[in-house]
Amino acid sequence: MSVEAQQGIATPRIPAGLGGLLPALILIGLFFVVPVLALLLRSVTDPAPGLQNYAALLGDGTYARVFFNTFLVAAVVTIVTVLVAFPVAWMLAIMPAALASILFGIIILSMWTNLLTRTYAWMVLLQRTGVINRALMGAGIIDQPLPLINNLTGVTIGMVYIMLPFMILPLVGTLRAIDPMTLRAAALCGASPLAAFRRILLPLSLPGIAAGGLMVFVMSLGYFVTPALLGGTSNMMLAEMIAQMIQSLLNWGLGSAAAFILLVVTMALYALQLRLVGSKRAVGGA
Amino acid sequence: MTQAFLSIRKLRKAFGAFTAVHDVTLDIPKGEFLTFLGPSGSGKSTTLYAIAGFQDPTSGDVLLQDKSLLSVPSHKRNIGMVFQRYTLFPHLSVAENVAFPLRVRRRPEAEVKRKVADMLSLVRLENFAERLPAALSGGQQQRVALARALAYDPPILLMDEPLSALDKKLREEIQAEIRRIHRETGVTILYVTHDQEEALHLSDRIALFRDGRIEQIGTGEDLYLRPATDFVAGFIGNSNFLATEHLETIDGAATVRLADGSLVSGINANGSFQRGQKTRLMIRPEAFRLDQSPNGAELAVEIVDVAFYGERRRIVARTSAGQEIDIRPTSSAAATHEASPGRRQVFFDPGGAFLFPA
Repeated sequence: MSVEAQQGIATPRIPAGLGGLLPALILIGLFFVVPVLALLLRSVTDPAPGLQNYAALLGDGTYARVFFNTFLVAAVVTIVTVLVAFPVAWMLAIMPAALASILFGIIILSMWTNLLTRTYAWMVLLQRTGVINRALMGAGIIDQPLPLINNLTGVTIGMVYIMLPFMILPLVGTLRAIDPMTLRAAALCGASPLAAFRRILLPLSLPGIAAGGLMVFVMSLGYFVTPALLGGTSNMMLAEMIAQMIQSLLNWGLGSAAAFILLVVTMALYALQLRLVGSKRAVGGA
Repeated sequence: MTQAFLSIRKLRKAFGAFTAVHDVTLDIPKGEFLTFLGPSGSGKSTTLYAIAGFQDPTSGDVLLQDKSLLSVPSHKRNIGMVFQRYTLFPHLSVAENVAFPLRVRRRPEAEVKRKVADMLSLVRLENFAERLPAALSGGQQQRVALARALAYDPPILLMDEPLSALDKKLREEIQAEIRRIHRETGVTILYVTHDQEEALHLSDRIALFRDGRIEQIGTGEDLYLRPATDFVAGFIGNSNFLATEHLETIDGAATVRLADGSLVSGINANGSFQRGQKTRLMIRPEAFRLDQSPNGAELAVEIVDVAFYGERRRIVARTSAGQEIDIRPTSSAAATHEASPGRRQVFFDPGGAFLFPA
């Protein structure tokens, strides 16, 4: 009865609201839902109806390697990004606000700088005759140039650089919410700096690490430019493979299927993130 | 005084050109409840932080049982501390917060369990063991903080204004709790507060800080009844200061002339004064009486306002020199009833009044 009563109150509002929402719904439907459905449709109809595109992608060793490599790169990039971002975020969280906002400005500015420019800059730095190799050889530290480009190392360096702001920003928010006195209290309780980090700071910053980490991981899965320019042919990622399938092989069905798999994985991870962040909130608010 | 348990030796702390603590020297016997009292910025918290190891002193030393603490990092000092803000670990339950110092010390599980149960019963929070700190009131959180700070039997417990975030009723409740815990555990407590009532209520001794120095150290009674300086007299309890001129002092009993020309004799003189020197006569509001008493000095005033404060009345009066004074007579109710606006004489015992340089 109470459910009916609630519906009775709620129903008169819906038509009025729906009318106002209509333009937005049309926009979302036309530009977001329809293309995804078209992608799905194409992946099961091109060249012939059936699941053969998915069977080919999931059954073939070459494609499996690309999937594996995509996840490997995304995982390595995420881990390295967390390791680099944490100390930076901690410094930003505890330094005076005026200085922190300047550094924030610099980080944001780097996000706004053209992606291609930044990736080419890394090519210049990392190549065999690049700045880093020449400096190291000039200093006598190495005899042969280090292979820093066209491999996993190059992709990791380039992508970590691009992903850092997406990790730092949520992490600073989480770290700022931690009272520094809590760490002093931990010290007086007998916790060494390492123990205080492991038992207090790390658990308290996990929501930020989870939020930033999943964002970086999901973005890395679908990344194209940086892996294409800094990676090698032996560790191709999914986005590159899709580009090849469509541009070079003109195999729209296979490309659509690969894109759809990527979309499903991304959405699954996003749902996981929502669950994690949601449950953290619930614990914090209890 | 018994042998010093904790010793502070010529402790100095400078922040650039500003010196927060000037050569503070202090001996604290085992089991004492000593309060650092003073206005904000008087150096009391800085001194406490030097003991905790949060700030390295510029010079001087802190000795615990004759061993210097200065080269020992905070986490190895084995000192308990309760902070002004609630510093419980928000992701750990009440029981795990109390267990934390024992876990980082890698004590056996059975001992941890037993100690946590003991501590929670000490602060009367046995039924809250599984709660998260956010589900507790401010007073309960400070009691958990107290349990956590005592769980590892530290020789010293530092408390940095632990009650300042609580409302008056809760404050009084936790004060009683702290007194009881001090009695039951015998731990040496160093307590920082700017609230003189809290200091008087809790402490064995009070060190009154002013501008980075200890102005006076003694029991609450010492500071209240025998203030060494006018600052102490003004900070502890309520005081009236009357402008006077010193005439003579014989055997520590001074005679002064009030602004209206009347003379008062038999006053406690702090230090020596010249004839004709400008002085300030301190009289506690509760030292005034409305009825004549033997050996009583008198003061002509005009009563401006009488307010009822429950246990006593507070009278605002004005001297003939135009200075407002605060009178809270402890005399019988009958005499208090006589207080009504208008001119009259009030009386005080000159032996309970103090003379300070102006």
